[in-house]
Amino acid sequence: MADKPLESSTPSSRSARGAQPPSGGSAEWEWHDIETTERHASAEVRRTYDLDDGRRMKQLASAMLGGALLSLGLKSRSLGGLAVALAGGGLIYQGALGRTLARRVPGIEGFRSLRTLGRRRSVEAGAGTGRAVLERSITIQKPGHELYRAWRVAENLSKVMGHFAEVTTVGPDLQHWKVRGPLGRSFEWDSHIVEEHPGEFLRWESMPGAELPNEGQVRFRPAPADWGTVVTLRLRFSPPGGALGDAAMKLLGQVPTALAHTALRRFKSLVETGEIATTRPNPAAREGGYSY
Amino acid sequence: MRALCWNGINDLRVETVGDPGIVNPHDVVLKVTMSTTCGSDLHFIDGYIPTMRAGDVIGHEFMGEVVDVGRDVKKVKKGDRVVVPSFICCGSCWYCQHDLYSLCDNTNPKAELQEPVFGYPTAGIYGYTHAFGGYAGAHAQYVRVPHADTDCFQVPEGLRDEQVIFLSDAVPTGYMGADFCNIHPGDTVAVWGCGGVGLMAQKSAFLLGAQRVIGIDRFPERLKMAREQVGAETLNYEEVDSVLEVLKELTGGRGPDACIDAVGMEAHGTGVEYAYDRAKQALHLHSDRGDALRQAILACRKGGTLSILGVYGVMDKFPIGVILNKGLTVRTAQQHGQKYLPRLLEHVTKGELDPSFLATHRLPLEDAPRGYELFKKKQDGCVRAVFLPN
Ligand SMILES: [Zn+2]
Ligand SMILES: [Zn+2]
Repeated sequence: MADKPLESSTPSSRSARGAQPPSGGSAEWEWHDIETTERHASAEVRRTYDLDDGRRMKQLASAMLGGALLSLGLKSRSLGGLAVALAGGGLIYQGALGRTLARRVPGIEGFRSLRTLGRRRSVEAGAGTGRAVLERSITIQKPGHELYRAWRVAENLSKVMGHFAEVTTVGPDLQHWKVRGPLGRSFEWDSHIVEEHPGEFLRWESMPGAELPNEGQVRFRPAPADWGTVVTLRLRFSPPGGALGDAAMKLLGQVPTALAHTALRRFKSLVETGEIATTRPNPAAREGGYSY
Repeated sequence: MRALCWNGINDLRVETVGDPGIVNPHDVVLKVTMSTTCGSDLHFIDGYIPTMRAGDVIGHEFMGEVVDVGRDVKKVKKGDRVVVPSFICCGSCWYCQHDLYSLCDNTNPKAELQEPVFGYPTAGIYGYTHAFGGYAGAHAQYVRVPHADTDCFQVPEGLRDEQVIFLSDAVPTGYMGADFCNIHPGDTVAVWGCGGVGLMAQKSAFLLGAQRVIGIDRFPERLKMAREQVGAETLNYEEVDSVLEVLKELTGGRGPDACIDAVGMEAHGTGVEYAYDRAKQALHLHSDRGDALRQAILACRKGGTLSILGVYGVMDKFPIGVILNKGLTVRTAQQHGQKYLPRLLEHVTKGELDPSFLATHRLPLEDAPRGYELFKKKQDGCVRAVFLPN
């Protein structure tokens, strides 16, 4: 990853203390653009996007992550579903117009602007190639060979990916993926393992003819001292031209980063603790006495 | 079941909600016998912290009886009487294994809400905003406790609930704050704040060997508690011209060896206080709180320790240069309760520590909104209101 943030089109005065005065004692807060949340862009991203595109990405991301909160408020089944929902729906355009959506979220008090959240972009995207590569790492308190074995257990994989896809194992090296899409639409594909180095590395690809061609790999490397193992998940989506469109391509380039991150976090919790933290169902005075 | 719910700004109501059950294999369900108010709750009750949702069950300091046990729970049994620290901790991650429990990696199911603010997500908390996981709180007849073997602590026989309830949060937070001070014989420790956490920090400083403890506040009844229940010397900052000068005189011109800031939100951080300017405008307390920390930095002796338990967001005019030039050691954290609970229960059992005096008001759960009102306005000498949900 490169060492410099992408251009900052947000005025620097917004950092840390950019709050507007309270509007009539409202509970709404402005989430601030905090320097520490500034993610670094790859050299490729910096080469690829000019300033305008960068700003647009930021707005898209803003809309998108506003949407992540929306998913809480609207009980969207998953962030993944939402990602695809955004790709197919109108929200994307509102984001592109530079507005944020979170203020409309009825269920969550206090979120008004999430430009901070919108700064994520650990994405590499190849201009014109219609591909997005997403990579995230996490450190897990277990030896690599144990993690590798856990990753290969079909039941674990479906739990880990459960936040956005239903993954079922249909053969020794063959998985079926189903991602919930907008308006009841879903993307499905089969993927097969194409490279495997037990204890270290695993790579899979969607079968030829998949509607949303993609590939993924996971790598296990020792972490320093007593930290365990660094697990790196890399996903690459190659939507065919026209199907999702250029903007959606970029959007997909963002959201799956969060998907990869969440998948890794779920994997970590599962292997470290034997369960994945959840609040479903949770007693609350709404939605019939249970919410999450 | 009945539970205290947040329905909007300053709108707390006891309502009927669903009963909790076992969700994950390491869960237990507790029948709550006692829960208590906390200063940090006031900030989302007042609407200064985002990520609450109307209908959320609140409350994070509690104890109770185990009524249901998940299939992978090994130590905790049905019928056990336990006290539970307010942070939910897995016991298995690197942070838990290094006694840094409130930094647990695995218990915040909504980490993506918190991560942009802190850089890395922390442990979840019961009934304390969705950024901290959105878990249902404990001002309720029943509460689900994940990772029970790590998070439930057996209450020794013969102790009353009031003696134990504050081990959920105020005591371990205060004790940790004193532990940070690396107290040596002869040391003087000054504590800003005589609320639940401040009083427990003072008591803990004595337990850890301090020769003198000085409690600073402005409420006479709290200062009286510091003197009578803890044995601290006290200083009403509204009655002196300069806290610094008084502390200097009390310590032979050297200054306290360690200063603990236990002011404001008590022990619970939100980290989402970054709208500092707004908070400062809206919360008249805020400049007070900033003052307390600056005062502590100034008053601390050269080479001393500053232990911060009060919660701050972004503070401007923060005198980092004073810390540098005086060579202060700064220690701070949210409570690592699971680290301290065994020794704290021992102190209580041996009669060396009895925090029950903090429970100034005892109310049924149905009266919890009034309890918070008393607590918030510090009416009728209220230090902590405790609720009896069953
Ligand atoms: Zn508390
Ligand atoms: Zn942990």
